[in-house]
Amino acid sequence: MAEQRISYWAAEAEVDEDLEDVDLNLAIGSFGQTDLYEDAKSHIDETTLLAMQQQMAQQAFAQIPDVVKRFIVHFYQAVQENNLAEITVAYESGWNRLTERFYAKTEWPEAELIAPLVNDDPIFLILYRELYYRHVYSRLQPNLDDRFHSYENSCELFNYLLNSDGPVTLELPEQWLWDIIDEFIYQYQSFSVWRSKAASKTDDELTSLGDAGQPWSSYSVLNVLYSLIQKSRVHEYINAVQEGKSQEEIGDIVGEYGVLPLYRLLGYFSILGLLRVHTMLGDFTLALKSMENVELNQKSSLTRVTACHVSTYYYVGFCYMMLRRYTDATRTFVTILNLILRMRQYHTRSYQYDQINKTADRMYALFAICNALSPNRLDDNILNIVKERFGEQVAKMSRSEEGIPAFEELFTYACPKFVSANPPPYEDGDALVAYLEEPHIDPAQRHLKDFIADVRAQLPVATLRSFLKLYTSLGTSKLAGFLDADEEEMVQQLMVLKQASRSIGRVGNEKGLLEGSTVSNNDLDFVIDENMVHITESTVGRRYAGWFIRNTEHAQRVYDGLKNSPLPVPIRPINPPTQQQPGQPQQPKSATQGKSVAWGGVKTVG
Amino acid sequence: MSEPTSSWVCPPERTEIIENLVSGVDRYNPSNIGILEDYLYHQTRSEEYDCLANLAILKLYQFNSTLYNSDVVIHILIKALTSSPFPDFHLCVSLLDERPSSANADEPDPLPSILPQLQQLYALLQQCRFPAFWILYLSEDYRVLREEYTVESVAFEDSVRKVVVRAVKAAFTRIGVKRLSSYFNLEGSAFETFVSKLGWTIENEVVIVPPNPDNQIRSTVVHETITLPQLVKVITHTARTG
Repeated sequence: MAEQRISYWAAEAEVDEDLEDVDLNLAIGSFGQTDLYEDAKSHIDETTLLAMQQQMAQQAFAQIPDVVKRFIVHFYQAVQENNLAEITVAYESGWNRLTERFYAKTEWPEAELIAPLVNDDPIFLILYRELYYRHVYSRLQPNLDDRFHSYENSCELFNYLLNSDGPVTLELPEQWLWDIIDEFIYQYQSFSVWRSKAASKTDDELTSLGDAGQPWSSYSVLNVLYSLIQKSRVHEYINAVQEGKSQEEIGDIVGEYGVLPLYRLLGYFSILGLLRVHTMLGDFTLALKSMENVELNQKSSLTRVTACHVSTYYYVGFCYMMLRRYTDATRTFVTILNLILRMRQYHTRSYQYDQINKTADRMYALFAICNALSPNRLDDNILNIVKERFGEQVAKMSRSEEGIPAFEELFTYACPKFVSANPPPYEDGDALVAYLEEPHIDPAQRHLKDFIADVRAQLPVATLRSFLKLYTSLGTSKLAGFLDADEEEMVQQLMVLKQASRSIGRVGNEKGLLEGSTVSNNDLDFVIDENMVHITESTVGRRYAGWFIRNTEHAQRVYDGLKNSPLPVPIRPINPPTQQQPGQPQQPKSATQGKSVAWGGVKTVG
Repeated sequence: MSEPTSSWVCPPERTEIIENLVSGVDRYNPSNIGILEDYLYHQTRSEEYDCLANLAILKLYQFNSTLYNSDVVIHILIKALTSSPFPDFHLCVSLLDERPSSANADEPDPLPSILPQLQQLYALLQQCRFPAFWILYLSEDYRVLREEYTVESVAFEDSVRKVVVRAVKAAFTRIGVKRLSSYFNLEGSAFETFVSKLGWTIENEVVIVPPNPDNQIRSTVVHETITLPQLVKVITHTARTG
């Protein structure tokens, strides 16, 4: 604690110099009255520092920079008044800026400390702790207490939302609601991974884990998500919207909770949360099944939160890959990667930009895997980026057995974090000792091994395909000779090739994400007539329309923009020089004129 | 082509009770495990198969290690084995979390020894190495699997042959009797009966596979089609400004 206090001061001293900068940048108004800092600065000497180490909460409170205090008061008022615009600014801008300035390496002040500033308002304090712990998880190393307390705080928040008398009147920005769900699942995952590493626990941690019961259990996390979904009746809402019901009818259907954006959005984000939790637990089927009612297209989305789109498509694409529906996976990645590319210019300054980019990179890697297993030309643009970024791996993956490490590398890099549902037996000392003596496999390794087994089964396919491309018909014994393989084995591999060129895919507007039909996914097709292979190849023309349509629309927007902007007003004083300027070129011009006249004269003469 | 996944997502035989368990929140209630396990044994005794219901069992085991029943797990995997080339087997294996070995101290869990065997067999099916599958499956090492588990699964061998049928049907228009009979592991009259049940005919030691969407090949040229809705924005803009 002492160290942290010192760094508070250190941070402040550092900040002092460019405090004005802080204030100007804050879009939130007048936090940055600097006068009070002078005061604080004069107190920094060793005796004060020493004294401070024994200070009580009162003095700790005094240590909180005034900017921060004002920010918290302002934030609190915005929440009190349900002023969404102000809350958004405080949440997206103020919090992050103050974090950079004062709390880059330390915790924000504890909720108890700032409680007097906000009238001890329990709801605001819960929200404050939500941000406090999220900051600890993202910037610092959460300790055991942080993990337990952040869980308790999440429970309090959800309890308040779900179990008050009737719906609560609180309003929060979409982005924050998404972050609440996202962070809740992240902390669950973080805890599960941390908990599964029994060998590195200290004695204190072992005791606490043994006594702790079940914080962050899978059941409790799923329970929250399902409760939010049920309370908000968001599935009913989505269905009603899809059926084109009127606002009034929808209101009747979704009830007093569902009509409020807070509940509806939390419900919607919880569906996407289920997708993620089920994926982390290795239940790829249930993950997609949870999304049954959600339509994956830009038009029908209930929210404008980009991070939510990106994450959803990532998990859906990954699940498709694990269901070996490579075409569907590829299509999912292509859609969102194109969107990210197009939005790039608007998002470079967003605080989530890094996260979005990281997820995009992983999707390029997954795209590379899918394309290696089921090559297609869905989108040349994305394919080219993939080749740029993962060129080495892409080349290796086409080289049968040698390619396996490349598959492993990309899978390990791009797969989601997996968790195991059951903790080591912390509550039973003897069992724990036995547990520690056995070797354990990380869940990600299990999924990897399983996936690679499938990749191995498909290995001969690429070579066979490249041979068949050269012929229209070919005897099986001849083909076996080329490949230096046993004829019977080669015929069996041909069946594998045939199966690999068919997959389940979505063809139209199937209702659930699990639905689909058998589709052919390769240009090359063949059939075996006893001992003769007949081959055909389909050609797919390049697709230009989308590109042209997008760019025509863009050009029209630019044109409209130009047309609607006011004409530049000519400024008088510039006139004389502009008169002069034409005068200057007029000389050469007249010269050329003269020349042409002369030349013309010559011509007429001639 | 029909939609193969709709009967996979919800087989016509699935009762309403099971459907509610598979699609509702009740799937997490451990007290429903009996209903789902009974349904699995019903699948084992009949030729029905419901992957999603079986995954619901594995999910309950994943969350409640005390419910775990290795017998049930093995039967689920046997059912999933013959769904190749669909990935059901992997989907089931993905849900088998690591198990604390102390849970079954008095009675050793048979799964650790059976699972690698099933994985081996599945790999062979996936690679369409059918003759190798039969040799391995009928070998001495796999006796326990055969005599204690697959024997209980009605028509297990026939369901393996269905995997063969799927692969052959897609790849062949005609196939030699010798080759096919090694895939089916059937000879003589048994082979002939099985083939004729499929509606396939034998002529001069060659089996004729009737035409189906996968063994009829055609080269096509796919051109891009542009639909009117795609152009709506462009056209309305032109109409407005032009």
